Amino acid sequence: MTGVVVAPMLVALVTAVVTLLLRRRVRTRVVVSVAGGLGYALAVAALCWQVVLAPDAPGIATYQVGDWPAPYGITLVADGLSAFMLAMVATVAVAATVFSARYVPSSERRTFYHPLFHFLLLGVTGSFLTGDLFNLFVWFEVMLMSSYVFVAFYGGPLHTRAAFWYVSLNLVASAVFLVAVGGLYATVGTLNMADMARRLAEPAAYGIDARPTVGLLALLLSVFALKAGLVPFQFWIPTAYRAAPPPVTALLAAASKKVGIYAIVRVSFTVFADAAVVVRLPWIEPTTPLAFVGAVLFVMATGSILVGGLGAIDRDSIEGVLAYSSIGQVGFIAVPVAIAATTTAPELRRFAILAALVYALNHSLAKGLLFLAAGTVRHATGTIYFDGLGGLARHFPTLSGTFLLGALSLVGIPPLSGFFGKFLVFDAAVRADASAVIALLLVGSLLTIAYATRAWNRGFWGARSPAVEDATIDPVQVAVLVALALVILAVGVGFDPIYRFADAAAGAALDAETYVDAVAPRGGESG
Amino acid sequence: MTAFVLAVAVGALFALGTYLILQRELIRVVWGLVIVSQAANVYLLAMGEIVPGSFESVPVLAGHGEPGPGTTDPLVQALVLTAIVIGFGMTAFALVLSYRVYEEHDTLDVTELGDRE
Repeated sequence: MTGVVVAPMLVALVTAVVTLLLRRRVRTRVVVSVAGGLGYALAVAALCWQVVLAPDAPGIATYQVGDWPAPYGITLVADGLSAFMLAMVATVAVAATVFSARYVPSSERRTFYHPLFHFLLLGVTGSFLTGDLFNLFVWFEVMLMSSYVFVAFYGGPLHTRAAFWYVSLNLVASAVFLVAVGGLYATVGTLNMADMARRLAEPAAYGIDARPTVGLLALLLSVFALKAGLVPFQFWIPTAYRAAPPPVTALLAAASKKVGIYAIVRVSFTVFADAAVVVRLPWIEPTTPLAFVGAVLFVMATGSILVGGLGAIDRDSIEGVLAYSSIGQVGFIAVPVAIAATTTAPELRRFAILAALVYALNHSLAKGLLFLAAGTVRHATGTIYFDGLGGLARHFPTLSGTFLLGALSLVGIPPLSGFFGKFLVFDAAVRADASAVIALLLVGSLLTIAYATRAWNRGFWGARSPAVEDATIDPVQVAVLVALALVILAVGVGFDPIYRFADAAAGAALDAETYVDAVAPRGGESG
Repeated sequence: MTAFVLAVAVGALFALGTYLILQRELIRVVWGLVIVSQAANVYLLAMGEIVPGSFESVPVLAGHGEPGPGTTDPLVQALVLTAIVIGFGMTAFALVLSYRVYEEHDTLDVTELGDRE
C-alpha cells in the first residue's frame, strides 16, 4: 500500500539514471526514455486507483522515508489533491516523451536531453508528494535545475539570455524560500506540514507565538507565485517558454506551473486553514491568514488575466501567444483559489477549489497540446513567426485541426474539457456573488477569444507561405497531437468521473484533519 | 549579543547581495546571487536554538558526563548543509552560463543583451 506512494518517483529516477548511463547507445536511450514515460503513467495510475479511485480506497496514503516517524523523518503523502495533480502531469508527460523521441535529434549534443527530462518529472512528482516544507524546497530545486538547462538548451543568444534571467530570478526566490522555511522552523518548531497545521491550530497548547508566521506565509506565497508565473512575477515566462525545446515547454506549462498552484493550495488550505493567527494590516480589519492569501491572490490573478490576455494579442509568433496566454490562464486558475480562500462557507470553498482543479486540468491538456503543435509547426516549417507562416490549415489539415481544438478548449467551447473549466469558474464567481470578479472573467474570456482567433488567422489561414509550401510533417508527432486532442474531447464528453475525482481532490485539499491523522506526527512539543 | 551580531551580519549580507544583483555587469549579478543565498544560509543557521546538551539529542555526549555543554540544534545544520550543496552547484552553473552569455552576446553588460535571436 505505501510502496505505491513512492512508485512514480522511483520510476522517474530510475529512467533518468538509466538514460544517463546509455549515453553512447542512442536508440536504446530513446526507447528507455519512452518506456520510462509510460511506466511513470502506469505508476501514477496505480497510485490514483489504490489511494483515491478504488471503491475501498482510503483516500490518503503516507510513506515515512527510512521508517522514521513524522515529524522526525521526511513524510511523503499521497492524497486526492496530489493524485489529481499527478494524473494531470502524467497525461502530458507521456505525450511529451513520445513527442521528444521524434523531435529531438539524437546527436551527441543532445545526450542529456532525456535524463534531464525525467529529472524534471522527478522534481515535479516530488513536489506533489512531499509532506515536508524543506523537502518541498529540495524538490523545487531538482525541478528548477533541469529546467535551467532546458532553457539554455540550444545555447543561442536568445536561449542564454533567457536562461540567465530565469536562473537569477529563481536563485533569489530560492533564498527567499529558505528564509521562509527557517523562520517557520524557528517560530513553529517543525517543518512537517501536518505537524505545522496541528501546531498552528492551537498555538497556545504547544507554547508557540504564531504571529510571525503571517509574514513568512507571504514570503512563501511570493515564491510559489513566481513558480506559477502570476503577475507581478510573470516576466520570466515569455522568454523562457520560447527558449526551451517545445516538448519541455509543454511540460513546464502543464507541470511546473501547476506545482506553484499546488503549493499555494496545499500551504494555504492544509497548513494555514485553521491557523489561530490574526492578520493585522494597516487600513484593513483584522482577518485570518486564509482571507489574507485570498485578497493577495485576487490582485495577482487580476493582473495575470489582464497582462496575459493583452500581451498575447500582439505577439509575432505562435509560441509568444501561447506563453502570454499561459500567464492569463494561470490567473483564471488563481481566481477560484482566491474565492475559496476568502469565503467562509465550506460548500463554496470546496466548489471553488474543484473549479480551480478542473481549470488547471484543462489548461495542462490544452496548453500541452498547443505547445506540442507549435513544436510540430517549427519542426516542419523551420519558423514559428506569423510572418513566415500562413495557409497551414489547407496544407496540414490534421495538425491544424488539433491546434484549433486546443485553442477552442482554451476559449471554453463545449463539448471540450475547457467548457467545464470555464463554466465551473464562472459558477464559483456567481455563487460568491462577486460581480467584479465576473466582469474580470468576462474580459479575460474575450481576450482569450481574440488572441486565439488571431493566432489561427495569421498562422493557419491565408495564402501559403514558401516555408509552409516546402514543409514535411512528422506522422508520429501528429499522432501524439491527435491522441492529446482525443483526451481533451474525452474529458469533455465523459466529464462525470473527472468531476468526481476533482471533487475528491478538493475535499482532500480542505480536510486538514485527515491529513494530520494520516501523517500522525508524534510528540507534544519538541520538533 | 550573538543574536545582534548575527542579525547585523545577515542584514549586511542581504543588502550587499541586493546591491550587487542590481548592477549592470553580469559577473557582479552572479556574485550578488551567491551572497544572497549565503545570507539565507546564515539566517537559517541562526534559526536553531542553543540548548543544554543531552545524550538524547547528541549521542556522542553519552560519555561526557553531566552537565552537558550547550549544543545547537542539529536539524538546521543539516538543512544548511543541503542548501550549501545546492547553492554550490547553482553558483558553478551560473558562472558557466554567464560565460556562455558573453560568448553569444560579446558583452557582459546586462542592459546591452539585445534582441539577438
